[in-house]
Amino acid sequence: MSAAIETRDLTLRVNGETVGPLPVPVGTSLLDFLHEWLGLTGSRMGCGQGICHACTVMVEEEAGPREMRSCITGAHWFEGRSVRTVEGHAHTAPDGSLVLSPVQTAFIENFAFQCGYCTPGFVTGASVLVERLKRTPVRRDEVERVVTEALDPHICRCTGYVRYHQAVRDLVLATPGLTTA
Amino acid sequence: MPASHYAPLSRRNFLKAGAAAGIAVKVSFLAPPAKAQLLEAGPSDGPAWAAPGRPRYRLDAIAKVTGSKTFSRDYRSRDLAGWPETQAHAFLIAATRADRAFTGLDLSRLPPSLQPDRIVRHEDLVADKVAVPHADFFGDWFLVPEGETPRLLGQPVAILIYHDFPRFSAAKRRLRFADDVVQYGAETGTKPPAHYGASRWVRIEGDTADGPDRFSAYEHSPIFAGFSGDEPAWPKPGQDGAFAQGMAAAQTIAAEIDAAGEDALVLRRTYLSQSTDASAMEADNGNVWYDPASGVLHLMMATQSPYDVAEAAASLVATSRFPLKEVDLKVGYTVGYGTKDHHIFPFLCVVAALYGDGRPVRLANDRFEQFQNGLKRHAFRIDNALLVDRATGRFRAMTGRYACDGGGRPNYSVAVSFVGATAAQSIYYLPKSDFQAIAHASRAVEAGSTRGFGTLQTMSATEMMVDEAAALLGLDAIDLRLRNVLRTGQRNSQGAVPAGALRNEEILHKAAAHPLWRERQARKASYEAAHPGQRYGVGFAQVHKDYGTGAEAAVCSLELDSQGALSLRHVAHEMGPGVTTSQAAMVGDILGRVPTRTEFGVVRWPEMPLHTTDQPYTTPQAEEDKRAQDPRWVPRFTSPMSATNSAYYLGHATRTAARFLADHAIWPAARSLWARGGKGGALASYNELTRDSLRLSDGKVLGGGLPALSLAEVAAEAHRLGLPVGVTLHTFNRWQWAEAEFDLPGTTGRTRLPIDALSLRYGAGAPPERKALMSTAGWHFLPRAAVFYPPTQRNNVGTTYYSPMATLAEVAVDTGSGEVSILSHHSILECGRQIVPELVSGQVQGGLAMGIGHALKEVLPLYEDGPGDGTWNWNRYELPRAHDVALWNQTVEILPPLSETDPPKGIAEVVMIAVVPALANAVAHAIGHRFHELPIRPERIREALA
Repeated sequence: MSAAIETRDLTLRVNGETVGPLPVPVGTSLLDFLHEWLGLTGSRMGCGQGICHACTVMVEEEAGPREMRSCITGAHWFEGRSVRTVEGHAHTAPDGSLVLSPVQTAFIENFAFQCGYCTPGFVTGASVLVERLKRTPVRRDEVERVVTEALDPHICRCTGYVRYHQAVRDLVLATPGLTTA
Repeated sequence: MPASHYAPLSRRNFLKAGAAAGIAVKVSFLAPPAKAQLLEAGPSDGPAWAAPGRPRYRLDAIAKVTGSKTFSRDYRSRDLAGWPETQAHAFLIAATRADRAFTGLDLSRLPPSLQPDRIVRHEDLVADKVAVPHADFFGDWFLVPEGETPRLLGQPVAILIYHDFPRFSAAKRRLRFADDVVQYGAETGTKPPAHYGASRWVRIEGDTADGPDRFSAYEHSPIFAGFSGDEPAWPKPGQDGAFAQGMAAAQTIAAEIDAAGEDALVLRRTYLSQSTDASAMEADNGNVWYDPASGVLHLMMATQSPYDVAEAAASLVATSRFPLKEVDLKVGYTVGYGTKDHHIFPFLCVVAALYGDGRPVRLANDRFEQFQNGLKRHAFRIDNALLVDRATGRFRAMTGRYACDGGGRPNYSVAVSFVGATAAQSIYYLPKSDFQAIAHASRAVEAGSTRGFGTLQTMSATEMMVDEAAALLGLDAIDLRLRNVLRTGQRNSQGAVPAGALRNEEILHKAAAHPLWRERQARKASYEAAHPGQRYGVGFAQVHKDYGTGAEAAVCSLELDSQGALSLRHVAHEMGPGVTTSQAAMVGDILGRVPTRTEFGVVRWPEMPLHTTDQPYTTPQAEEDKRAQDPRWVPRFTSPMSATNSAYYLGHATRTAARFLADHAIWPAARSLWARGGKGGALASYNELTRDSLRLSDGKVLGGGLPALSLAEVAAEAHRLGLPVGVTLHTFNRWQWAEAEFDLPGTTGRTRLPIDALSLRYGAGAPPERKALMSTAGWHFLPRAAVFYPPTQRNNVGTTYYSPMATLAEVAVDTGSGEVSILSHHSILECGRQIVPELVSGQVQGGLAMGIGHALKEVLPLYEDGPGDGTWNWNRYELPRAHDVALWNQTVEILPPLSETDPPKGIAEVVMIAVVPALANAVAHAIGHRFHELPIRPERIREALA
């Protein structure tokens, strides 16, 4: 490695599995680390400036998961933390079939996306919202506002947002425990 | 018409000619890794389909929602079979000035350890004979030569290649925004290319509706001109030749407008439509591996036009000093809204790879770079004049001068200018029209194909002007439109009769009856009373947009196996709108069963041994007639994924293949089964049964009172009888379908079909002599007995296929901040028969959001402060967010088809246009000020209200 590049070992959990220690240059974004070191390209580079949220990942913490922009957050910030990327939301059932998360199912059944480049960010954002609502439900008449506020930072260029937001609204309304009367 | 005059008219006029002889060119689509392949099992009768033709979700949905590798950008060398494990990375150094000579690079910001492993400069390319393919389209330089002034802002001067990612990444961060890396000499003034072209579309109607026009592009010719300075040097008016006659007709129209009296309204207005960036989320990227040992150029590229990239890449390398035996292009899913249809970027990726020392080199724009070098939407200056009869409210004439800024490479600017000009009539019948299309060159970042292709700019201006004309005439704006609407059978401004039923009038009536329109004055009063500081307005606009290019070609194959399962192969590939889903759905609609196996982006068609000159716009009639006698010649082999061509044009191949199997395999096999039992069987007493009685649904074959058969048993019978159970066909459209006659085997005999090439595969029970015919890769290629190509004169019509859409927009304008809030909007669309309604509504909603951005938010300065300076990103370029689009208050009405046999229409572009002028008209209603320049940003509103 070049003398101009300072490298430190990095260990974190990604989608439930421990990764590292790996020597990673200081200043490497988590997004580049996911792409170039781990081959996980589902989190997408949109702007590289934290504006479009196509790169967001879920950071799993005791207080509940939160959304982080991997393009503007250094990989070493995640030392010792646990990250869930879009590749880690579905799971494989004992019979070998793929089981999507409720958010993923809602998106595909509502034809929420076209090109799909922004979809990983929306999966992350909506999943964080659903987890938040499990802890702090909202009134049913507030759901549309809450969904719009939660997903508004995410840019979509193909489908005009409507089907994404409808899918999350309908999921929230249909899931016991996410809303109050 | 001399071919040379037509050359600049083509949307794609440069193909094939440059492809090097003897180079094998392969184009294929990324084989997904095992996991993705498993996830994307594709269409089946399983969970993806609620019913044949009704998908439960997109066929690519699971791969996309789980983050599988789908985009070209997702792939690294290690993910591609046969490629090396490691790869190099490259980035471009770009000039941010275009008024001084480039004198060299200063990389002293980089410590020795971060110096690039390879620097590529123009002088290297000259030494190695690497030249831009099709320089008349992509520009003359890849990289600015030392001592020369860049043609355009943001033009690259060097490629820096690193053999590892960490050094690449560190170096790129150190050089970003540095203004001392590119060294400049003395001021030279700007040196853009010569202006790109000008054309003029003049029409004066004839004495009768059916008789010849006095002058029109279709009847006579468009008019072409060079430049004198910045102005087109139009031919002199006269009677000698079509150009002179056309100019005389234009002179007549101008004189009539100038001489208009009190009985007419003359409205002259200038409109400015801004440059924008389509901001496709996936920025341009490519990963190219040139293996000097094998002479194979491996490309993985994000492009909407893979065939053309492969051909031009072959030409680029074959004419250089680098040996080349084969080009192997792989393409993933991508998205571009037109901006990945023909751009220099893929070839810059190829150039980088030539200097990769045998390593794959990845060149992938970040967003700053994408703004700096990605294709832009053309800025237009529009000078319109409309002559309206005051007594009747009928339009007598319209003229327009549509000048677009194409930036510093030619690209599609000429085509964009004339597609825009020929759309300027919007939805109106014009007895007289004169539309000038002018494509200027400049130092701006290059503009090219972008959703709308010039028509968003010109039709928005017309719709803003018609709204103003109605106000000046004291007429309801929809009423004025109804008085002038283009009706079925009337001619467009090129003199051609549009295809099928025009339903603009029906849409206008629906809009006029909508509460937003009917109650707008009352709502304005009550809203403003309830919201001090807010002004309320409702605006309306309606447009119709062409789809296709006038040279649409496709290949598709459909096979029925002996168990009744279907396999579909198609040249179409996925750009986002759902083409893979919709093509499979079309088969389900016609055959009552969706394909079990599908393959898209198919490029190898050994059963279709065709060749093409690929000059469909420029081949003279006599030459085309001669070539057409060769049954293996077609005017074009296939089209890029662009110009809204999937539903109608690519779907035509799919639908024709499905109907062919219904007619020639399923129908005779079902009759055979129904005739069992001797003496004609159950069919005998129903001997009036015709093909029209046949019904195919849910895997069943029935109709005419006969018992339902399973598709499986009918398929088995078709195979036993040796009927054609597989069909591969080629289609071509020049604003009309090519047709051909084929001598089908058996008793069918000569049959005319809307295709120009055909191969068949017969069932196992076919007699030996029929089986022997299947000698072309296991297929029977049937040379056509006769072919009927649409006359080359139809190249003059500009377009005949239209999809209409209207939008009503309801806004509130904050008089303090100038912010425009969209309270609601309602759109009315006619798209023929919907294939997958969920995909249509997604397209509409997405188009509306993009149009909202154009009308109210997005703007790029063209020159020194614009995106060429490398500092633009979405922090300063404001895209519409969810809260901007009236997310929960938008509705769409889609007209039902006139009959169940209506074809689907292409809608991807039209859906973003009407909302643009609708919003401008709504703001005018709200504050009483008409803006003629887009976007209408808060600061402009504040100025207007000051």
